[in-house]
Amino acid sequence: MTDVTLYHWEPNANSGKPMLALMEKGVPFASHYIDMLQFDQHKPEYLAINPQGTIPAMTHRGAWGSRVLTESTAIMEYVNAAFAGPDLMPADAQDRWRVRWWMKFMDQWLGPSFSMIGWSVFVGPRVRERDPEELAAAIERIPLPERRRAWKKAINGDFSAEEMAESRRRVALGVAKLEEELGKRDYVGSDAYSLADINIFNSTYSLPLSQPDLASKDKTPNIMRWLKRVYEREAVRKTWAMGKTDMAARYSLVMEGII
Amino acid sequence: MGAVLYHGEPNGASLTVLAALAESGLDIPCRPIALLAGARHSLPGIAEPIALDLGIEGEGPVLVAGGEAMTESVFLAQYLDELAGGCGLQPDDAYAHWEMLMWCRQITERLSPAAALLGNLASSQAAIAAIPADDFAALTAAIVSDDLRARWQALHDGTIDAAQVADSEAKVDQTAQRCEDKLADGRDFLMGDFSIADLVTYSWLAGMEPIRPAAFAERPRTRAWLARVAVRPCILAAMAMASTPEPLKTWAPGPEINRWG
Repeated sequence: MTDVTLYHWEPNANSGKPMLALMEKGVPFASHYIDMLQFDQHKPEYLAINPQGTIPAMTHRGAWGSRVLTESTAIMEYVNAAFAGPDLMPADAQDRWRVRWWMKFMDQWLGPSFSMIGWSVFVGPRVRERDPEELAAAIERIPLPERRRAWKKAINGDFSAEEMAESRRRVALGVAKLEEELGKRDYVGSDAYSLADINIFNSTYSLPLSQPDLASKDKTPNIMRWLKRVYEREAVRKTWAMGKTDMAARYSLVMEGII
Repeated sequence: MGAVLYHGEPNGASLTVLAALAESGLDIPCRPIALLAGARHSLPGIAEPIALDLGIEGEGPVLVAGGEAMTESVFLAQYLDELAGGCGLQPDDAYAHWEMLMWCRQITERLSPAAALLGNLASSQAAIAAIPADDFAALTAAIVSDDLRARWQALHDGTIDAAQVADSEAKVDQTAQRCEDKLADGRDFLMGDFSIADLVTYSWLAGMEPIRPAAFAERPRTRAWLARVAVRPCILAAMAMASTPEPLKTWAPGPEINRWG
């Protein structure tokens, strides 16, 4: 029996971060798939694990009992510090600062824009076909007020034109800055593969497919070179094999575009 | 080329980093800059500006090292701690470290934008609004980040949403309650031992006492903790760098309020 259980959705965005970090470290874990589109994360059995109803969450059992860890980037830092295996943080202090800076840039500035677009074109349309009463009840079960507002907006298609334009502006600018960064260093924030690569890869892996106007061999050669290098990692292949939706099928499509 | 720390008065993000520097014992020269004059956007010797140009924290301190602009107060505090070989500001245990990071993220995502908004309304908005039009245009033209420029503009134009003010007051109240709950077991500091969590929380919360007294009125443990942190040598050293009698009343445009609400 493993000591670690990960509650996650697809190997994508926030769920993909601890999945990939655990895989890179070689830490065995029990996978507990939470179907976000079925609102599994707001059901009582999951709220008993993480009362905030956010995914992913990880439990780690040991002499201390059972710990529950939340917030994908912070879980990754815990995984890197708590387990043996390759170090996913650089040794140099300034490199470590840069890795953290890029993760915050993604988590708090760029990521919300990616997800606003993703929720608008993917999550909202998939969910809103359901029975309205069932959806209303599902929204009422969401513990965090800000997540409740976000789900309502996604389901109702309420993102304003101004919000969407700002999200698109940020994505375009963020991608351009990432291209610049990867022209300076082999990986994000340092010359070694780190948590920053895992973090940013999980939100940018499909850019060549979803935003070919922003990311392509011609426009962003550094990003494409980096994506290819990350895609080829064994841990990425193993993690992607855990996907259950057609998102996982994108792997081969993106690889075809990169090579 | 040696590193230089450019900072505002010891409050908010600048206070966190000045105190962390004092705690680290590192010898890094400090240069005070006039944040409300836009001085942060014309710093010399920067070859890698992205963290300054697109920083999340707003008008926080900037450490320039090897031509690279380094920002975000929590990460700068971690950097200084690690550069000094570990000066005790971060727990060694992985789980305790995770708890500290989670706490700091709550503060930087929820309290910092709220405190910056209320602090600026109370003490800086009049000064920003009084900047002559040509000077204000030049100042904001030097700001690379569109969203930071928009926060300056909103303060200048007085177009702050009343709902955001109410939400910010609620977030200050919630933070004080979180502190009160955390300190309930009799611990002296938020994570048990003194850490970056105390630095960053004190830096944004101490200046709220005169602005939002109701948040502290019924929370004696939080008031006592603020008093304990205020006399820590690193905080005293940072406050000694002030050029104004009341540095906790100096504010400049801060972090963005979460776009998802």
